[in-house]
Amino acid sequence: MSAGARRARDGLGRPRPLAVVALVAGALLWALAARALWHTTIPDGMRLPHADPHTAFGAGFLRRSASYERFLAIDALLGVVVAFAALVVYARRGQRLTAESAAGPIGTGMLLGMLGLGIVWLAELPFDLAALWWERRHDVVHVGYVEHVVNGFFGLSGPFAAISLALLLAMGLARVLRGWWWVAAAPCFAALALLLGFVSPYLLTIDSAPLDQRPGTARTAADARALARREGVPDTPVFVDLVPDQPNAAAVGLGPTRRVVVRESLLRRFDRREVRVVLAHELGHLQHRHTLKSVGWLALFVLPAAGVVALATRRRGGLARPEAVPVALLALVAFGVAAQPLLAATTRRLEAEADWAALQTTHDPAGARALFRHLATATITDPDPPVWRALLGDHPTIMQRIELASAWEARAGQR
Amino acid sequence: MNDPVKLVVTDDLQRTRASVCFRIVLAIPHFVWLAIWGIAVFFVVIANGLITLIKGRSPDAVHQFLSEYVRYAVHVQAYVNLIADRYPGFSGHPGYPIDVRFAPSQQQNRWTVLFRLVLAIPALLVTAALIGGTRVRAQWTPGSLLATVAVLGWFSSLVRARMPRGMRDAGAYALAYVAQVLAYLFVLTDRYPNSDPLVAFDDLPLPEDHPISLEVDDDLRRSRLTVFFRALLAVPHLIWLALWGIAALLAAIVAWFAALLTARVPDGLHHFLAAYLRYQTHVTAYLFLIANPFPGFTGAAGSFPVELVVGPREAHNRWSVLFRALLALPALAIASAYGLLLATAALLGWFAALVLGRMPIGLRNAAALALRYSEQVNAYLLLVTPRYPYSGPTAAPQPSAAPSPYLPPDPHAAVTVGA
Repeated sequence: MSAGARRARDGLGRPRPLAVVALVAGALLWALAARALWHTTIPDGMRLPHADPHTAFGAGFLRRSASYERFLAIDALLGVVVAFAALVVYARRGQRLTAESAAGPIGTGMLLGMLGLGIVWLAELPFDLAALWWERRHDVVHVGYVEHVVNGFFGLSGPFAAISLALLLAMGLARVLRGWWWVAAAPCFAALALLLGFVSPYLLTIDSAPLDQRPGTARTAADARALARREGVPDTPVFVDLVPDQPNAAAVGLGPTRRVVVRESLLRRFDRREVRVVLAHELGHLQHRHTLKSVGWLALFVLPAAGVVALATRRRGGLARPEAVPVALLALVAFGVAAQPLLAATTRRLEAEADWAALQTTHDPAGARALFRHLATATITDPDPPVWRALLGDHPTIMQRIELASAWEARAGQR
Repeated sequence: MNDPVKLVVTDDLQRTRASVCFRIVLAIPHFVWLAIWGIAVFFVVIANGLITLIKGRSPDAVHQFLSEYVRYAVHVQAYVNLIADRYPGFSGHPGYPIDVRFAPSQQQNRWTVLFRLVLAIPALLVTAALIGGTRVRAQWTPGSLLATVAVLGWFSSLVRARMPRGMRDAGAYALAYVAQVLAYLFVLTDRYPNSDPLVAFDDLPLPEDHPISLEVDDDLRRSRLTVFFRALLAVPHLIWLALWGIAALLAAIVAWFAALLTARVPDGLHHFLAAYLRYQTHVTAYLFLIANPFPGFTGAAGSFPVELVVGPREAHNRWSVLFRALLALPALAIASAYGLLLATAALLGWFAALVLGRMPIGLRNAAALALRYSEQVNAYLLLVTPRYPYSGPTAAPQPSAAPSPYLPPDPHAAVTVGA
C-alpha cells in the first residue's frame, strides 16, 4: 500500500487539496448548523438594564457568596489539574492494564475506559471531599462524608455504562472505517443521545412521585397544568424528586417521555409564586425543544472531539486498539476543558430562553426576581461572579437573570 | 496430619424416620448439656488464652477438654441438622459418624493469640453465612446453608429414610468450618479457619461425575485497581447478561416444549443456552472475585480462567421436564444459601485482595463451590441437563483437566474445586 493510500485510509494524513476543500465545506456547514441552533426567541439586540447587586443582595451577602464560591472554584480547578495529571500518567502507562482482560479488543477497551474514569474519580476525591466540607460548613448541604463517597462510588455505574457504550460504538466504527471513524461518530452519537434522551426520563423518575399524587400540592399541580397549557406543552407530567439536596428542577425527555422533575426541597422552601416561575422555566425548555437542541449541539461538538481523539490515538494504532483508549480519554478531557467556555455558552443560551419563556407565560417579573434572589441566598451563589467564572457557568449569572426579568418588564411596559 | 482440625465423615446416609420426625425434641437434653458445659468452657477458654499467651502453647489437659467440647458441639449440630443419624453421646468422645479429628497441642503465635477475637471476625462472618439465620420481618427464616439442607433433608429423610448425599456433604462442610472456627476461637490452634471445601474433610469419597462442572485455572493474583472498582466494572456485563438472559428465557421456553414433545432439546438451543451459562459463569466469577481478568462478552469456551464445562445434550424424562420448575425449588433454596456464602466470600475477598493483591484460596474455592452449584441449578432449570444439581462441596475430578500454568504451588488450589 502506498503512503498516500495509507494516509487516505487513515483519514487524518497530510492534508490534500480535496481534503482541505472538504474540511472548509464541513466547517462552513458546522457554522451554519451552529448559527441555527444558536438562535433563540429572545428578541435580538435587547440590552439588559444594569442592576446593582449591592441593592439586590447587600454587601454582606456579596462578600460571603464571593468567598464561598471562590473556595469551590479553586478547589474544582485543582481537582481538574490533578485529574488531568492522573490521566496523563494513565495515558502513558494505562496500556499495561490490557493484561487484566480476557476480552477481545473492544471489551478490553471498555475496561480501560472505565478504569480511566475510576482513576479520575479517585484523583478528584480529595477535592470533592474538600468541597463537601466547605458546603457543610456553610450549611448548604447536609449529606455525610461516608454517604457522599459511597453514593459517588456507586454513582459511577452510570458513567461506566455510558463510556462502555460509547467505546463500543467508537471502537466498532474504528474497526470498520479505520481512520475515518470520527466522521461517522457524530450522527451515531447523536442517535444514541436521542435514544437516551427518550429513555432516560423513565430512569430519572424511578424514585419520584407524580406531583398531583403528593399530599398538599394540589394548587401547585393545578398551576403546573395551567402553565403547561399556556406554553403549548399540555399534559406534561410533573414529578417530585425526594432527594434531600439543594433546591432544583429539570426538564427531561422527548415527545411522549417529556416531563418535569422538581426537587421536594424546592416545593418546601420556595413560595407558590417562585415555584410557578420554576415550573414555567422548565416547561419553557420543553416548549422550545431544548433536548433536541442539546442533541444538535452534542453532534456538533462530537465531530471535532472525535477528530481530536482520532488524531491523538494514531500513534497507538488508532482507536480500534484498546491500548489507545487511555490516550483517547486524555484527548477527550483536554478537548472538553478547551471547549468548556463554548459548551457553557450554548447551555447558557438555552437557559436564558427558558427564563424568557417563563416570563412570557407568567407575566411575573417580580416573581422571577424574587426566585433568583431566593435561589442565590439558599445556595450561596455569587450573583455577580468574575468574568472567567461567568464564562464557565452553564446558567446565566443571577444578576443577568434578574436583569432579563427587568428587561422583559420594561419591554412589556412599552407595549 | 497437616491440618489441625479435620472433619471425619463415616455416616452411611441412612436415616430412621421416627428419629428424624422428632429430631429437635430429641436433641433437647443435648442443648441443655451443651449450655451447661458451655459455661465451664467460657472460663476455660479465657484461662487457655492467658496460658497460651504466656507459655506459647495450650496445656494438654485444657486442649483435650476444649477439643471434646468442640467435638460434642459438632456431634449435636450434626444430629439436629440431620447430617448424622445416631443419637450422640454426651462426652464428646470420638467415634460419631460426623466427627472431628484434632492435632495435638502445638506452639502458637502469641500475637495472634492476643488479637484472636478481632482476627476471628472474618471467619465469624463466613460462619454466619454457613450456619447463621436471617432475620426477616421479626421472623427467623432459614437462610444459611446448614439450616437449608436440614429443612430440605428433613422432608427427604422422612420420605426416603435416607439423606441425599449432596445435602449431607454440604451440611458437613458447614460443620467442618464451624469446628475450625471454634478451635481457633478457643485457642486450640493458631491455624486460621480455612473455608476451602477441598481441605475440610478427611477422606470424603468423591461423588459421581456431573455433566455441569467448573474448571478453575486461576493463579489467585488480583489487580488491586480492578478489584477496587470490580462491582462497577461488571456493569456493562450485567447489562449484556440481562439482555442475553431475556433471549435465554425465550429459548428455554422453546426448549421446554421441544423436550416435552421429543424428550430432547434441539442441538442449536442446547448450544445457545450452554453459551449463556458459560457467560453467566464468567461474569459471576469476575464480579465475585473468583477470577481476575475482565471477561469477554461471548461466553466462548476456554476463554476464561473459571470455565463452566457443559456436557453434551442428553435425553430428558418428560415428567421431569413438565414439572421442572417445581422440582427445582429445593435446589433453588440451596442455591440461595450458597449465594449468601458467595457474597460473604466476595466481600471478605475484596478487602483481602485490596491489601494482599491476591485472593485467599479458601475464599476463592468456597465462592467457586457456590458458583458451581448455582450454575448446575441454572443448567437444570434451562434444560441444559436433566441431572439434578449436586449440592455437596466435593466433585469428581475432570478427566480433561490438565495442569495449568496458572496453578499456584498449593496442590488443591485449582481444578478440583468445582469440577
